[in-house]
Amino acid sequence: MLLRAVWFCLAFALAIVSPPGLAGGQTLHRGLGPEPDALDIHLAQSLSALNVLRDLHEGLVTFDARAELIPGIARAWTVSSDGRVWTFELDESARWSDGTPILAEHFVAGWQRALAPATGSPTVGLLDVVAGARERRTGQAGENAVGIRAIADHVLEVELVRPVPWLAELLTHPVTYPWPGEQALFSGPFKLDGRVPGSHIMLSANPRFRQADRIELQAVHWHVIEEPNVELSRYRAGQLHITETIPPGRLGWLRELFGDELRIAPYLGSFFLVFNHQRAPFADNLALRRALSLSIDRELLTERVLGAGEVPAWQLIPPGMPGWPAVDPGDPRSQAERVAEARQLYRQAGYSERRPLRVELRFNTSLAHRRMAAAVAAMWREHLGVQTRQVNEEWKVFVANRRQGRITQVVRGGWIADWRDAANFLQLFESDSPLNYSFWHDAEFDRLMASAREANGQERFDRLRAAEQRVLDQQVIIPLYYYVSRHLVHADVEGFEDNLMDIHLSRWLALR
Amino acid sequence: MLNFSLKRLASAIPTLFLLITFAFFLIRIAPGGPFDSERALPPEIEANLAAKYHLDEPLLFQYGRYIWQIVRLDFGPSFHYLDWSVNDLIIQGAPVSFTLGALALLLALMIGIPVGAWAALRQNRPADYSVMSIAMIGISVPNFVMAPLLILLFAIILGWLPAGGWEYTPSRMVLPVITLALPMIAYIARITRGSMIEVLHSSFIRTARAKGMPEKKVLISHALKPALLPVISYLGPAAAAILTGSVVVERIFTIPGVGSYFVQGALNRDYTLVMGVVILYGILIILFNFVVDLLYAWLDPRIRYDDAEVGP
Repeated sequence: MLLRAVWFCLAFALAIVSPPGLAGGQTLHRGLGPEPDALDIHLAQSLSALNVLRDLHEGLVTFDARAELIPGIARAWTVSSDGRVWTFELDESARWSDGTPILAEHFVAGWQRALAPATGSPTVGLLDVVAGARERRTGQAGENAVGIRAIADHVLEVELVRPVPWLAELLTHPVTYPWPGEQALFSGPFKLDGRVPGSHIMLSANPRFRQADRIELQAVHWHVIEEPNVELSRYRAGQLHITETIPPGRLGWLRELFGDELRIAPYLGSFFLVFNHQRAPFADNLALRRALSLSIDRELLTERVLGAGEVPAWQLIPPGMPGWPAVDPGDPRSQAERVAEARQLYRQAGYSERRPLRVELRFNTSLAHRRMAAAVAAMWREHLGVQTRQVNEEWKVFVANRRQGRITQVVRGGWIADWRDAANFLQLFESDSPLNYSFWHDAEFDRLMASAREANGQERFDRLRAAEQRVLDQQVIIPLYYYVSRHLVHADVEGFEDNLMDIHLSRWLALR
Repeated sequence: MLNFSLKRLASAIPTLFLLITFAFFLIRIAPGGPFDSERALPPEIEANLAAKYHLDEPLLFQYGRYIWQIVRLDFGPSFHYLDWSVNDLIIQGAPVSFTLGALALLLALMIGIPVGAWAALRQNRPADYSVMSIAMIGISVPNFVMAPLLILLFAIILGWLPAGGWEYTPSRMVLPVITLALPMIAYIARITRGSMIEVLHSSFIRTARAKGMPEKKVLISHALKPALLPVISYLGPAAAAILTGSVVVERIFTIPGVGSYFVQGALNRDYTLVMGVVILYGILIILFNFVVDLLYAWLDPRIRYDDAEVGP
């Protein structure tokens, strides 16, 4: 009887076996990473949400396949001579997914909803460059105070608090998109067909999109997959065309397995360790901070420990940022020379082998972070004799501790560009910034940042570079490496171009 | 019997109430809050968010508000998945977890009990040893090892089945159901074998055999029923656990069930989601334990819950 049951099961199994494969036609299957926090343009914050929202909606400005800015719903714009008033001329062929025209008033409605305190938008701070926006979102002013106006059906005027040369970049962010009211309408190349939380989001081409004739894909399915290893399995099983990332530490094997399908490219993000400047032992101890930085061998760390294509870093701002050099000039000395200086500085700071520094290095749960921390601790011990306690904390605990700064000494830091501008990175170190978990307060730096806000063009870049140099000279952080974007892209996918922002709108992709 | 059932169900209410209260305050003691993220928010924006979700009110106030919501079966909005309410998430996720769990449970019973009984009849013979060794392996190989192995073999190397993702189709269910069922098959087989051996040595079986009853009848109508008692008591909590989904299996096969909400909810400090899942799990545990008690009475003539039925 048992045998019969086994045979029955086997027969059943054979009956249901169906080689899955990627369904034919023009349906693109993309890995998304974690479940998006929201597909509401004013509430979304996570990278995965932004990726889906950029397919569903369009802003005044948008990205091409290489993530360069191109006009979106705004066909053209002019800037007043003082740089404070921008006037956008909207594309009259722009339509919502039900066919009604997209008007300037929809942008006004969107920004007003974002700014209304009751909305609770977490990203609304991005609009602070708009006149009256800060007052409105803090509830000190009414809607009329906000510097956004519909001059005509297709003319939009935005008034800023100061000249903002990177405003066009900002206008690609979903918080600035037009808003059709409480109805599910889409301004972008795709519309939402269905959604299963924790599983997938289904999009289909939006026939009313102003450039619908140029879109080749019929549908895009974004698959929610949190674990990189799981995503890899599904890619290998032929269920995905594009992965969101690759698992850490298996670069060689993946390269062998996938060859050209593995796409690793520079990414505008940097990873660093941050000292707590309001607590001993790092407050007012430049020599010690420098010693700890110099004794870390970045090449060894990126090549041997992390091994997913990361680039060694000596600066805060990643190469490729407008106004910055294309490669990190680095430190010309050999690692042995750096270690020699580090030892000298360490003694100068009052530490020795008999009186070693005891320090806590704090990071959140992640395989890559754990490997990084172990390597850094080993290098500090080997070269300086520092005794490091590696503190692995669960995500929310880590974030809360880092922000409060009451018990932290050295913490994991990092930043990924919201838009292509150096000030986006440097804001982390401004005295009054909520993002400043170094607790470094420096009048000189604040002055440089303020003066950069007044400047334009090359002069602005010079001031920002001086501000970055100040952060590096004071060794506020230890830069370790620059991020890279990592994807597996199936050979059938056309139009996928590596870029610094790692933004790949589905509208530029096609299936062979 | 009815009396007993009513009493048991009535006692569930204070149990659930205590569970809700403990869970409510415990999750709020955990450091960090639902809106802490890599990028700290400006304080005014944090205040807006707190006000929107009533997190700025005193804790006891929030507790009262929550209990009132629960009474109306409204589990509130998720703090992390902002497009969904906890009711939405559970209504979408629970059927998936239930389907997988029920299939796994059924498979485990269908294979585990016959295999266990079969091994018991061949006690201490090679067949018994080999079956029990396989069962031991089934118990000790964790599902986070088994699942990737199954995927590697059936999805990547052979290409017969998908590596993950969810639809209500057999091909998507096979691997997760097998992964979920394997350790249960092993447990059930071992428990059945143990209790079967014990029952086979008891005097009423000897009597039945002495009366010349056919062996088949002895086994099926006399031995199997009492031998299942320990299996039933194992099944109560196990069923509640498996029907609310397995975090590991859901993550590895990317299945949108409620199991991963447990862990995700707690890690994200998604207070309402954690509470929703805890309550769901609590209700199921209470329910299944109750069912187990009823089954006991049916299976074992010595157990009766109504005093009146206990005769001299």
